[in-house]
Amino acid sequence: MVRQIKQKPMNWIERLYIFEAFRGLFTTMKHYLRGFFRYETLPTVPYPEMKPEILPTYRAKHRLMLRPDGTPRCVACFMCAAACPANCIYIEADSSLDGRIEKKPSRFEIDHLVCVFCGLCVEACPVDAIRMDTCDTSYVHRTREDFIANLETLTQWNPNDYSQNDVLSQAAPGGIKNQQALESWKLRVY
Amino acid sequence: MMEILTSRHWLEWAITIAKFAFAFVPIGFILLLIPLERRGAGFIQDRQGPNRSYFKLPYFGRIRLFGWVQNACDGLKLFFKEVYAPNHVHRILFALAPAIPFAIVLISPCVIPWFAPMVFTFGDAVIRIPGQTVDSEVGVLLLFGLSSLSAYGAVLAGWASNSKFSLLGGLRTSAMTISYEVCLGLSLMGMLLLAGSFRIDEIIAWQDAHVWGIVAQPVAFFCFLIAMIAETGRAPFDVAEGEPELVAGFHTEYGAMQFGLFYMGEYSHIGINSILVACLFLGGYSVPFVEMSTIQANVGISLGVLCGLIVLALLAFLHMIYRYSRWYKTSSASNKEVILREYSLYKLLAWAAVPVVLVLGILSALFFHPEYTIINGEMVYGAGVAFGTALIQLLTLLVKACFFCWVWIWVRWTLPRFRYDHVMHLGWKVILNIALINLVVTAVIAKLVLGGN
Amino acid sequence: MSNYYNMPALPTEKSPKVPITVDDREVMVPGDTNLLEALQTVGIETPHICYHPYLPVSGNCRQCMVEVDNPRGMGLAIACYTPVRPGMKVATPVTSPRVKNARKAVSEFMLVNHPLDCPICDKAGECSLQENYITSGQNESRLSGAAGKQYHGTPENEFKDTKGQVRGGKRLNIGPRVILDEERCVQCDRCVRFMRHVAHDEQLQLVSRGDHTTIATFPGEKLDHPYDLCVTDVCPVGALTGKHFRFEQRVWMLSRTPSISMDDSLGANIWIDHNNGFVWRLMPRCNPEVNRSWLSNDSRLAYLQFRENRLLNTDKGISESASAVSKMLSSSAGKIAAVLGGSCTLEDAFAVKELQNAFPNRVEVFVGSLDTAGTPDGIAKSGDPVANRKGFALLGFEISAEELCKRAGEFETLVTVHADLWGANASLAAALSAIPNRIALSAFENATTQASTVRLGVNHWSEVSGTMVNCNGFLQKLNAAPVSPSENLMPAFRVLGILSGKPVSSASEAFLKLREQVPVFAEFTHESVRSAGVKLNGVSV
Repeated sequence: MVRQIKQKPMNWIERLYIFEAFRGLFTTMKHYLRGFFRYETLPTVPYPEMKPEILPTYRAKHRLMLRPDGTPRCVACFMCAAACPANCIYIEADSSLDGRIEKKPSRFEIDHLVCVFCGLCVEACPVDAIRMDTCDTSYVHRTREDFIANLETLTQWNPNDYSQNDVLSQAAPGGIKNQQALESWKLRVY
Repeated sequence: MMEILTSRHWLEWAITIAKFAFAFVPIGFILLLIPLERRGAGFIQDRQGPNRSYFKLPYFGRIRLFGWVQNACDGLKLFFKEVYAPNHVHRILFALAPAIPFAIVLISPCVIPWFAPMVFTFGDAVIRIPGQTVDSEVGVLLLFGLSSLSAYGAVLAGWASNSKFSLLGGLRTSAMTISYEVCLGLSLMGMLLLAGSFRIDEIIAWQDAHVWGIVAQPVAFFCFLIAMIAETGRAPFDVAEGEPELVAGFHTEYGAMQFGLFYMGEYSHIGINSILVACLFLGGYSVPFVEMSTIQANVGISLGVLCGLIVLALLAFLHMIYRYSRWYKTSSASNKEVILREYSLYKLLAWAAVPVVLVLGILSALFFHPEYTIINGEMVYGAGVAFGTALIQLLTLLVKACFFCWVWIWVRWTLPRFRYDHVMHLGWKVILNIALINLVVTAVIAKLVLGGN
Repeated sequence: MSNYYNMPALPTEKSPKVPITVDDREVMVPGDTNLLEALQTVGIETPHICYHPYLPVSGNCRQCMVEVDNPRGMGLAIACYTPVRPGMKVATPVTSPRVKNARKAVSEFMLVNHPLDCPICDKAGECSLQENYITSGQNESRLSGAAGKQYHGTPENEFKDTKGQVRGGKRLNIGPRVILDEERCVQCDRCVRFMRHVAHDEQLQLVSRGDHTTIATFPGEKLDHPYDLCVTDVCPVGALTGKHFRFEQRVWMLSRTPSISMDDSLGANIWIDHNNGFVWRLMPRCNPEVNRSWLSNDSRLAYLQFRENRLLNTDKGISESASAVSKMLSSSAGKIAAVLGGSCTLEDAFAVKELQNAFPNRVEVFVGSLDTAGTPDGIAKSGDPVANRKGFALLGFEISAEELCKRAGEFETLVTVHADLWGANASLAAALSAIPNRIALSAFENATTQASTVRLGVNHWSEVSGTMVNCNGFLQKLNAAPVSPSENLMPAFRVLGILSGKPVSSASEAFLKLREQVPVFAEFTHESVRSAGVKLNGVSV
C-alpha cells in the first residue's frame, strides 16, 4: 500500500532559506559542543576498547546448553538443521552412553560464515539445548574452518557469565545450582 | 643598488625579509583545519571522528594527541604514495595543475597586515615597519587577483585529466570562481567606500576608529562570507567536486601528493580567506575595546593579561583532562590504563606550563615599563614595546581568523549541497543584486550623513 | 484376540463398480473390497494404524471409524473390516461430527501412553500416529503428569528419566537388526501379523494384557528372520526400528528416487532414499505384482556397500580411457568375449549388442557371473542373482559364463560388465586368466578388476537410469539417484557405446535404439514405463 506523507508547505520565512540555515547551524553547533565539552555522552563509543552493552535477548553467537553432568542437552533431533534457512547446521547423531538418553550428537557444527543469525534454530529446539544469548557479536579467526563452531567450542561457556536466575545455565558444571541439579541427576534407576 | 640598501636601517631589512615567513601562516592553518574539520565533523554527527593513530613515548605510552596524530599519519601516507598518472592525461599540465593553487597560497597572503605598522626607535634610528609583507596601494585587489588564479589549477587539472568528470568539475570551478569574484568584489565595495582605501591596514584602521565592518556593513559581510565560501569551493557550494555527480570533480584522476596539494591548497585558501574576513569585517589585528596606544603605554600589563588568558586556557584544558580521567576510571574501556597514562603527559605539560606562563606574565606586568621618546609630536617607543604589541595584534588576528575557519567547517557540515543552477542563481541573481543595492545605499548614506567626499 | 484373520480383498481393475453414498454424494467404488480401500479409490483417505493392505485385517486400532447406515440408523464402524455393500451410506468427518470425535478420541487414547519422543524418533515424519494426530486436531494434551504415561513397558526395563519420570522399555535389542521401543508401541500387532502370515515364522508375539501389552520374542530367542527388517516398515510408529538406519538421518531430509533392486531377478521395487549425495536407506516400494510391500534384508542392506571399494578412474578421464580401449579392440582381430553381469540393465545389454554389431563375428556374449542361484522364497526374492536374465534372453544372450570358462582359449579379449567372475568363483575363473586382454567395466574394486588388464569404473545401478525385465516378465524402470561418488564415472552402456564407436548420451536414447531391434519392446519408451512396470506380452515365465 502506498502511503502518501503530506508535507507541510514551507512558509515564506522558511523559503528564504537563510533563517532556516541559521537554525541548522544552531543545531549542528549544539551537537558539536556536546561532543567537545561532554565527550563522554556521545552515543558512539570507541569500539574495540569500549563495547556497547548487549542484552541477552540479542541474537549473538550460539551456545549449547549442558546437562548437570556436562554433556550437551542436544538430542540431535535435527530440528534446528531443518529450521535453518541458511543450512549452516550440520549434525551427526549417535546413541548416547547414558541409558536414560537415547540420542546424542556426535558432531554438531554451525558454520558462522553462513549463519544468518535468524534465531530459528533456538525457536525450533524442543529441549532448549541451543541458545543465542552469549552476547558475543564479533569473533575473529584466521581461517574459514575456524568459523565452524563445533561441539567443543559451542559448549565452552562459563555459567558465571549468565544470570543467576537462568536455571538452565546455572545447573551446568560450574554454575551455582550445579550441585543441586547433579544430585537429582544422579538418581539413576535403570 | 647600494643606495637602496643603505637607505634603510639594517634592522628594517632584517624584519622585512623575516616577514616573508608569514607566507607560511596559511600552511600552518592546514595543521589546524584538518583535525578541526575531521573531529568537528565527527562531533557534529555525534560520532568520534578519527582518533586511532598514536606514537609511542617511553613512559607515557601511546600518545594520540586527541586525534591529531592520525592526520599526520594520513598526510604522511599521502606523501609516500606513488605519484600516479593515468595513460590518457596531458603529462605536463597534469603535473603542473596541482602546484598552482598551492603556489598561490604562498603568494596571496602578501598584502595581509599581520600587525599595525610598527614605529620604534632602535639606537638613534627610527624604524618604520608596515604590517604586510608587500606594502601595496592596491592591497585587497592584489589578493583577489592572486587568489582567483587558483581557479587555473582546477581548470588545468580538469582539462589535463582528459576525463569528463574532471572536465566538468574544472568547468564548474571556473564558472563559479568567475561568478563569485564579482559578488566578492562588489560586496566589499561598501567597506572600501567607507574606509576610502584599498589598503587593508587602512580599512582596519577605519574600523578601529569607528566600528567593526560587521556592524557598519552587515549585509556586505554576509554577501562577502557567502561569496568567499563559494569561491573556495566548499560545501554547500562544492558542486565542482560533488561526488554524486562528478566522482571527485577536477581531481578525480589525481592521487597521492598531487591530490594532497589540491587538498592543502583548499585548506590554505580557507585560512587566507578567514584571515581576510577577519581583517575586513572583524577589525583585523585591532584588539577589541582597547586602543593601540593604551596597549603600547601599558605593554607589560597587556602581556601579563595575555599570559593570564593563556593560563586560563591551560586550566580549562586541565579541567577537561581531569574530567575525562575521572570518567575513564569508571568506564568499562579496556584501554583506560593506556589513556590515563597518556593523559598524565598532558597533565604534566600543562601543569609545568601554568607556573611558567604565570610567572612570565607577572614579571612582565611588574617590570616591563616602556620608555618613549617624542618625535614629531608622537610618542615613539622602543623595539620591545613594538614587538610586544605586534605579538598581541598577531594573536588577535589569528584568533579571529580561527573563528572564521570554524565557520567554514560549521557551514559545511550543516548545509546540504546546492544544485549547480541554484548556485549560479544565488550568485548572479541574489548576492550580486544585494551587493549592488548595498553599495548604492552605502554610497548615498556616506555622502549624505557622513559627508565624505 | 483371534489368531486368524482374513486377508483384505484389494480392489483390482476387474472389480465390479457399485454405487455408494459418501457424505451425501453418490460415488462408484469397487464392490468386492473393504470400505477403507473403496474410499481410497475415490480419493478419501481414512486414517488407520493397524490396517495394512498386505496383512490380514485385525481391526484393533479403531482409528478408521466411519459412520455406516445399518437397520438402526447411522452407526460407527471400522472402515477396514466393513465390506462395501451397494447403496450403502457412509459418513466421514466431513459431515459427521461423531466420526470426527471418535477418531479424535481414538487418537488421544492411543497417545495416552505414547511418549513424546518425536524429536529423537527415527519414524518421525513418516509416522502414522503423528499424521493422524495432526489430522484429528487434538492439539492439547488433556492429561496431567500424574494421569498420563503410566505405562512403562515390562518392569525389568523400567528406568527413571532425566526429569525423574519413570519410563521403560526403551531401545531393547530384540534381534541382530531390529531395536524395539516398548514405550512407543501402540499394539497394532502388524509386526506379529507380518511374521505370522508373510514370513511364516512367528518370532514376535503380543504378551501381557490391557495397557501392559508389549511386543516380545519368545524367551531366549531373537528376531532374526531374513525379512525381519520389514517389521520396521509395517510398524506405524517408531517402536521397531532398524539398526542400520538408526539415528542416521531424519526421514524428512531424504529425497526418494524410485528404482529397482538389481541383486535379484524378481527386481524388487525400491525407493532409494538419499541426501547430500549419499544413499541412506533402501525402502520397499509397493508393487502388488512384484514384491508387494516387502523387501529382503539382503536387498535392503545392499546400500551399505554402494560406496565402498568404488573404482573411480583416478588416473584418467573415463572417455579417454574408453577411447583407448576402443582403439585397442579395433586394431586386433581376435575374438572378444563379453560377460554381462547380473545388475546390467537392458541398455547395457543392448550396448553389448552394438559392440557385437561393431565387430562382426568377433564378439560372443555370455550371461551371469558364476554365482549360484538359490530358490524363490515366495516373498520378495526369486533367488537368481542375475537380475536381468530375462531381459538378456530377450536380446538373445543366453550362454552362461561357465561355458566361457570352458572355452577360454578361443578368445583374445574379455570384457566383463558388472560381472565379478573371479569374486564369485575364483577356481572356475582362473581359466579366464589365459585370455590376454581382460577389460573390466565395474563399479567396484573387486577380484575381477584385480585380475583384469584394463579397469574402467562405471556407475553403480543405483546411479543409472535404465530398464530391466524381471523373472516374471515385467519391464521395470530404474531411475538414477544423484549419489554418484565421482564426476568421472559413466553408466556402463555409455562406456560400451564408446568402445563400439556408437556413443549414446542417455538411457532413454539407448532404449529408443533398442526397441527398433527388439520387437517385444517396440511399444514402449522410457517415459511410458510407469513406476509399477509393465507386463510384457508373450514372454514365457
